[in-house]
Amino acid sequence: MNESILFQIAFILYVISAILYFSFLFSKKENTAGIGFKFAFVGLLFHTIALILRTIECGHAPFTNMYESLSFLSWASILAYIIIEAKYKILKAGPYFILIVIALMALASSPLMPKEATPLVPALQSYWLWLHVSVTLFGEAFFAMAFITSIMYLRTDLREKKNKVVKSSPSSEKLDSISYRCIAIGFPLFTLGGLIFGMIWAYKAWGRYWSWDPKETWSLITWFVFALYLHTRIVMGWKGRLSAYIAAIGFLAALFTYFGVNYLLAGLHSYG
Amino acid sequence: MKSIFNLFTSVKFTIVLLIFFTLSSGLGTFIPQQRSPDEYVARFGQLANVLIGLQLTKLYQSLWFIVLLCLLALNIIVCTLNRLSPKFKKVFRPRLIIKTKELIALKIMTKLKINKSLDTTKKELKRELSSRHYRIKETEKEKKAFLLARKKILGWFGADVVHLGIIIILVGGITSGLGGFKKNLIFSEGEVLDIPEAGIKLRLDKFETEYYPNSSVKDWKSTLTILKKDKPVLSRVIEVNHPLSYKGFVFYQSSVEWDWTNPSVEIWIKKSKNPSFLRKIKLKVGEKVRLEYENTQIAVLYFFPDFVINERNEITTRSLQPNNPAAFIEGWQADEKIFSGWIFTRFPDYSRIHSNKETDFSFELKDFKTDQFSVIQVRKDPGANFIWAGCTLLMLGLFLAFYWSSREIKVILEEMFGKTEITAGGVASKNKDAFQVEFKKIAANLRRLN
Repeated sequence: MNESILFQIAFILYVISAILYFSFLFSKKENTAGIGFKFAFVGLLFHTIALILRTIECGHAPFTNMYESLSFLSWASILAYIIIEAKYKILKAGPYFILIVIALMALASSPLMPKEATPLVPALQSYWLWLHVSVTLFGEAFFAMAFITSIMYLRTDLREKKNKVVKSSPSSEKLDSISYRCIAIGFPLFTLGGLIFGMIWAYKAWGRYWSWDPKETWSLITWFVFALYLHTRIVMGWKGRLSAYIAAIGFLAALFTYFGVNYLLAGLHSYG
Repeated sequence: MKSIFNLFTSVKFTIVLLIFFTLSSGLGTFIPQQRSPDEYVARFGQLANVLIGLQLTKLYQSLWFIVLLCLLALNIIVCTLNRLSPKFKKVFRPRLIIKTKELIALKIMTKLKINKSLDTTKKELKRELSSRHYRIKETEKEKKAFLLARKKILGWFGADVVHLGIIIILVGGITSGLGGFKKNLIFSEGEVLDIPEAGIKLRLDKFETEYYPNSSVKDWKSTLTILKKDKPVLSRVIEVNHPLSYKGFVFYQSSVEWDWTNPSVEIWIKKSKNPSFLRKIKLKVGEKVRLEYENTQIAVLYFFPDFVINERNEITTRSLQPNNPAAFIEGWQADEKIFSGWIFTRFPDYSRIHSNKETDFSFELKDFKTDQFSVIQVRKDPGANFIWAGCTLLMLGLFLAFYWSSREIKVILEEMFGKTEITAGGVASKNKDAFQVEFKKIAANLRRLN
């Protein structure tokens, strides 16, 4: 059993899970979604072993190139989904969320992503690589979850307003509050991993904690968008649609920090 | 004056500032920063002057960006202080005597009648609340008893602690910007360099580059000795990610530079007609070596670390990094030049040797050796400690704000004909559902007295 076979097994299990989840959306049989959830869970186990093998194989944290980091982000996202699902029971978010994970996994396995493990350049040889990247990606996984629930909120809210009597499940209030809960987890994680651990590491490796490098700047932008979300919501009481839009923009900013900066803007973080 | 103050207390102003700040930082990532004016003209043409005029080419250091940052800082300070004093009063000097209608207005509230005397009921209620870790203050007035039970009161200050953290981070940033010191030192082994700013001298005892099996760089290690009044006080090996700190000065292994003044090369010579023939020779650039074979002499005339042919068809080096090492060699027999040409380490197949005489020699540029300078960066960053303190507060504040749910229960007890009437209301800073559950449980436990 090597890492890439396990990765592919996890991928297939996620795809089966997504199919089951989508058939649940149409058939409304909760049973189907329950089986889908189990498939995702088993996929996560395979994926975990794949990541452990990868770590042993290359001898360093498994997120030093795009393939590795996409694989880890998918893993973190499934874990985030399982946590949120266990706590708040929103099976209907499952299909869309698994779809995001599948997109990430597909991107990771595309031939555009070099898969061979390369030795670490001097600047990356630090335990901060583990702390900085893993905590940040976990934060982003929760932002992704908030994105899905916000989009679902916007749809549900529209439907509820159109046919005033029909109460959908999950209700728009529940989606709004889950979206907030996800940000309440994601925001501190992103602050700690992305900004604070990043600053500490930059200080140790490059001798300065902040240099307005595009990746740093875009992390800060992401942080500010979510700060805006919290201020408008808590201080000004903007719940609902506006809140959902800001949460969605925040996730897109996080996505740009993750992908866009690597491919469009050059800087200190251009590693892989 | 008052209206300016009001502006700074308004959250709407915060939101406008946040949006401006976000957009302008984003803009700076799409315009390359701190380049030469020529580069901007080449890239943006006419637009370059506008960009330079608006300081968009050094956006993060520009006056308007710093003003924006200061406005944001001021806004945070004013808003936080403005909210803080009533909050302090509420938390540390709370009003105990309240009116029933204040409680009825709360979202989480209840009214109960208990068939016990006020004292018994109150005792039971206090026991119940203490067992849930509430801290209780009480008073009495006009035969009414007032209870104020609270827990995790720091939760009210989460956002304030976050804001304090951010302000300290900004102070750290300003301190770094004003009082920082940075210098690159380029050392060769054994060299001693003076750092008057730190009152010390620094000696590089040893410098080595470690390689991976695939010959990419694994690490650079410098053994440094700090000399004070020419006496060694501290010796340490530093490498990337492992700097050395000494009295506020930090020494970083930054990178290496190559010394190309006196390189030597290793050349392998083969003969196509004789596969077992292999001679390995090592020589310096400019040196001539006699082969014990056919009376041949070989010399290396030039060496370039990063061979390139530029637009003017000149052979030169693109950089000082050994990205494409190439050597120009010549061979002589007696006084007659028999061959000359370029050989490449990375591209042995592209070697071009022009022979004037029939020979079956082939040459490979196997290796080169030259001294390396270790580049050590010395920094003093007086702001760094502010940054770490600010970050700690920031995280602490986020934790308080999101996960340290303050709860407050206010109770009025009134005795009527031997029975006790209770009015209670509660507020929680977070997680109101969980609080409501607890509130209902407390009420249910009290009802059991009946």
